[in-house]
Amino acid sequence: MIKRIGRYCLMCLSVLLVQCGYQKKAKTIPLEVFFQNPVKTSFRISPDGNYISFLQPYANRLNIYVQARNGKPVRLTHEKEFNVASYFWVNNDKLFYTKNSVDKRVTQLFSVERANGNVTDLLPAGNFKVLFLNQSRVINNELLLAINMRDSSVFDVYRLNVNTCSLRLAAENPGNIVDWLADSKGQIRVARASDGVNETLLFRNSENEAFRPVLSNNFQTRIEPIGFCEKRADCIFALSSKNRDKAALVELNCSTGKEEKVIFKHQDVDVTGASYSQKNGKLVYATYETWKKQRFYLDDTLKHLYQDIEKLLPGNEVSIVSTDSAQKQLIVRTFTDKTPGAYYCYTPANKKLVKLGDINPNLPAEEMCAMKPVSYKSRDGITINGYLTLPKGSKTKNFPVVVIPHSWPHNRNSWEYNAEVQFLANRGYAVFQVNYRGSKGYGKQFWAAGFKQWGSKMQTDITDGVNWLIENKIANPKRIAIYGAGFGGYSALWGATFEPGLYRCAASYSGILNLFTFIKSIPPYYRTSLKMYYEIVGNPEKDMDYFRAVSPVFHTDKIRVPLLIAQGGKDPRVNISEANQFVKEAKKRDIPVIYLVKDEEGIYFVKPENREEFYRNLEKFLADNLGK
Amino acid sequence: MAAEKSFYRKNFALIVIFLLLVTVSLVIAWLLAYSLIKRNVENDFSSAKIDVQEEVVQPYNDFFQNRIPEISFYQGYLDSSSVAKYIDTAFTRYAFVSKVIFYDTQVSNHKIKDGLRVNKFAIGPKVVMQFKRNTKPVVLFTSTHPHTLSLKLADEFNKIAIKFSAYIESADTTKVLSNDDIFNTFYAITPNRITYMNIPRREEIRIYKDLMLKEMPFSAVYEQDVLTFYIDPLKLRIKNPHPELYQNISIRPLVYEELNNNPEFISTDIPLPGALADYKLYFSSLHSYLNKEINRRFLPVAFMILLIYSFLLGIAYLIYRNLNINSKLFKLQYDFINNLTHEFKTPVSVIKIAGNNIRSSKQLSDKERAHYGKILDEEADKLNDLMNKLLSFTQIENRSIKLKEEEINLEVFTQNIIDAYQIKHPQFDISFDIDEDITYFKSDPVLLSSVFTNLIDNAYKYSPPDRKMLHISIHRIKKNILFKFTDEGIGMEESELKHIFKKFYRIQSQYNQQGSVGLGLAFCKELINFMNGEITVSSKPGKGSEFIISLPDDYSL
Repeated sequence: MIKRIGRYCLMCLSVLLVQCGYQKKAKTIPLEVFFQNPVKTSFRISPDGNYISFLQPYANRLNIYVQARNGKPVRLTHEKEFNVASYFWVNNDKLFYTKNSVDKRVTQLFSVERANGNVTDLLPAGNFKVLFLNQSRVINNELLLAINMRDSSVFDVYRLNVNTCSLRLAAENPGNIVDWLADSKGQIRVARASDGVNETLLFRNSENEAFRPVLSNNFQTRIEPIGFCEKRADCIFALSSKNRDKAALVELNCSTGKEEKVIFKHQDVDVTGASYSQKNGKLVYATYETWKKQRFYLDDTLKHLYQDIEKLLPGNEVSIVSTDSAQKQLIVRTFTDKTPGAYYCYTPANKKLVKLGDINPNLPAEEMCAMKPVSYKSRDGITINGYLTLPKGSKTKNFPVVVIPHSWPHNRNSWEYNAEVQFLANRGYAVFQVNYRGSKGYGKQFWAAGFKQWGSKMQTDITDGVNWLIENKIANPKRIAIYGAGFGGYSALWGATFEPGLYRCAASYSGILNLFTFIKSIPPYYRTSLKMYYEIVGNPEKDMDYFRAVSPVFHTDKIRVPLLIAQGGKDPRVNISEANQFVKEAKKRDIPVIYLVKDEEGIYFVKPENREEFYRNLEKFLADNLGK
Repeated sequence: MAAEKSFYRKNFALIVIFLLLVTVSLVIAWLLAYSLIKRNVENDFSSAKIDVQEEVVQPYNDFFQNRIPEISFYQGYLDSSSVAKYIDTAFTRYAFVSKVIFYDTQVSNHKIKDGLRVNKFAIGPKVVMQFKRNTKPVVLFTSTHPHTLSLKLADEFNKIAIKFSAYIESADTTKVLSNDDIFNTFYAITPNRITYMNIPRREEIRIYKDLMLKEMPFSAVYEQDVLTFYIDPLKLRIKNPHPELYQNISIRPLVYEELNNNPEFISTDIPLPGALADYKLYFSSLHSYLNKEINRRFLPVAFMILLIYSFLLGIAYLIYRNLNINSKLFKLQYDFINNLTHEFKTPVSVIKIAGNNIRSSKQLSDKERAHYGKILDEEADKLNDLMNKLLSFTQIENRSIKLKEEEINLEVFTQNIIDAYQIKHPQFDISFDIDEDITYFKSDPVLLSSVFTNLIDNAYKYSPPDRKMLHISIHRIKKNILFKFTDEGIGMEESELKHIFKKFYRIQSQYNQQGSVGLGLAFCKELINFMNGEITVSSKPGKGSEFIISLPDDYSL
């Protein structure tokens, strides 16, 4: 009897313990919550400060809503096929917005009346891409746009009259200009020309003059004009990595081509950008990214303004995304690694902060997992940075791991909220992200170290990272998966092909299957960059053996692990008949393959229902293969 | 007697018919199985050729489905040196590829000297190269020497160029290329030749369409690769996964017919697919060769049938044996009734005669009356004894009587029985000895005396008149009392011994011509079994017999 009571007590205790353990674990949050369209996002304030606009889903597509001070929100647009991609106020009565085609190669530009929601198509019929110069700076009722209308491979600058909607050529591209910059009066005075490999900075004092070259450099060196100094006509602010490894914010004399002074530089990372006030021609702050994005203030007023806001929102990263023209009201956005954040309206006069809305109110931030910066040494001694997100719970070791190499080498992973990472961490996986060599932001040398290494050193960096996780007992060596999109998908397939035994399964989301096809896919309007791509990736004719050796499509016979392949039918970088062939051969070798094709989708799935289906498949695929 | 015999029949005819039938079925089953297997083998001969075709064509299929589409993976970037590597691997892996022509093709809207122009769309080879096994590649044409492209060489190129142009003209660039489009446009398959052009991406198809249909300035030059593979089907390796069916397999032209008129010779064929379609696989075997296979397959089946047959035979034998035993039993019962009738007849007829005599004589003297009275009394006793025997035997057999156990003084008990016999048969010499320690024995005295009288009767009956002697000895061995009855009578053959305790069994002998039913010993055995004892016998013909009864002794403890 006593024994039985004892056993009963033990049972109760163990149930309690189990429940405690369970409570420490994160609640499983439905997939839709992670990947739904934001509820309210992209808040903007009208120039007079009387209206606040935002994007909100209508029929599951983002549409523009406008709300008068103390009024009710009114929906202005009724887009049912595609999300509104971006929008801005051109004046107090009118907003412009864009929609993108699936492959993002065609931009449609519309204006909509704030008062009555009348929509006007601003561009003539045809398939163009539109880039904005001086966005939201309407000068003399005119907006500067770069459009590839005349020739799909080159962008000319046009002036669009926001009232009459007439389009007028402002500068014709001789064929080699890749970037334009206008001054505060709307005069195009700086341009960047490129022959593919070498870039030349061009300058002129006024639009009446012809451009003259200031300085030339190889594409590896970055000279990015930011704005014009007010003090002298031939002086500009620019980000420059000329004669240095990490880009710095400098003042450049366009008559001599010499750097006048270095305004800000960081010893470890590139200066990634600078905020420039067109109104008074001054630099406000420089941005750089170590393990997280940071600002170096060059203007005390703004520094204090940010400090005031940060005091009100402790523990959050903040940024000012929109102001009225008098700067009496600001729209502030916050974020952390655990939440996409919220929008606030801030009035500097009384330091009052009003919350406008959460981007994803259904997401409980307390259930999300912390993203921690990590670093390790590669086999040839280079320090590689990355992030590790461990799932919630009492466990500290032996996690099932999903490795996610980022999707595009000329980019990097940042410390921020990432739905994909949080989704997988919530499902109990440790998520490992790597800024492998070739990633941008760590200086020229680190970037160039990735040239022609797509299928070699860039991949071994990822492998080294995984081995580092195994050595530190963070990863359970039998439960590691690799998943990625684009280049990440290529890495996943590369890992499945050339790292036998390391990964249990590999998932590729629009992954590059074949470097030949990838090189071939560089669109006509990037033709000038083709030579650059040949240097970065390789020359398909000269490096044919290398391309063949590292393209997964040629090596289906080496794959042993289950695959998930998701592919948009209109992805230009992957030939769908290649993907079909690849899957067919893999299946013939009895490799389990889940193959998800969406004919109407491009590089990434845009339609929410397709995106959801993909993630549902990914969830099941990982659960099945990592034994959960 | 004959009528009585027909009462129980051993029907040998039935058994013979049964055996005959089973044997006939066996033969029919064998014949049927053989003809089925023969047909089966012949069917296999004409159907298993698909397996052979699959095996033989497998490398071709691998080449066609995997290696050829690989050209597309190069996206038109192949040039003379890189294509040589690709073709080298094709040559080493696939023996049936005899020659490859490589057309390094350019697509543009320029004016070209050699090639095909549709509106502005121009597609023409820049270089044409020929690759042959074990020889150096030969450049057959370069665009730097225009108008040197021979018609024969251009033929394969034009086929695919025309298909491709037709596709470009009507291509729907909003849709993903279907498998049908791919097969109809980028492959040109004629006997012994496969021409393939790499499949461009959708983007290129859009550009090509613009080149064809729109007025445009001179465009860039786009690269396509066209390869023609010459296939020699005779170089396909023949594998024979069915050597038991096909004596010879060969690849022959489609029109080939065997002119061999040998009736022993059978053949079949199956055409090869795709670019091999000019040829067929030709299979032939001799009938005798197939017969071997038929026999091989028939043997286990025949053995199985034989096994079933022997099983049936076994069952038939068992049934026959049962019938035999039953018939023996029947004979025993019949003998018994016969004997019994006899046994009853004698006293009954004596009684009848005595009765008749008493009735017919007017006066009976005292002597006569006493004589008849004695006769009647004796014969009635005999009848009674007979009936008692029958009755008690049935009772014992059915276990319907109970042991009435008493304490018996064995010495007195035996002496009394012997005394009774000495009075009855003064010349019968009976002696006995008994161990001194045996005094009382617990048993049913009626049953025990019944056993004694039976055995003593037998000893008297089966002894010649000059040797009517019996010795009874009673001993204790362990927990049992042993009763030995040793006579010097006629004895029995060894073969009789196992039967003498059976009911109605009588030894054919002059000593039992009257008044023996064959129940005595069976009755004894039943009684002794009933008393948990055993009875055994040993005997020698002419010398005498010894019966040993062993009964458990309760006082031995």
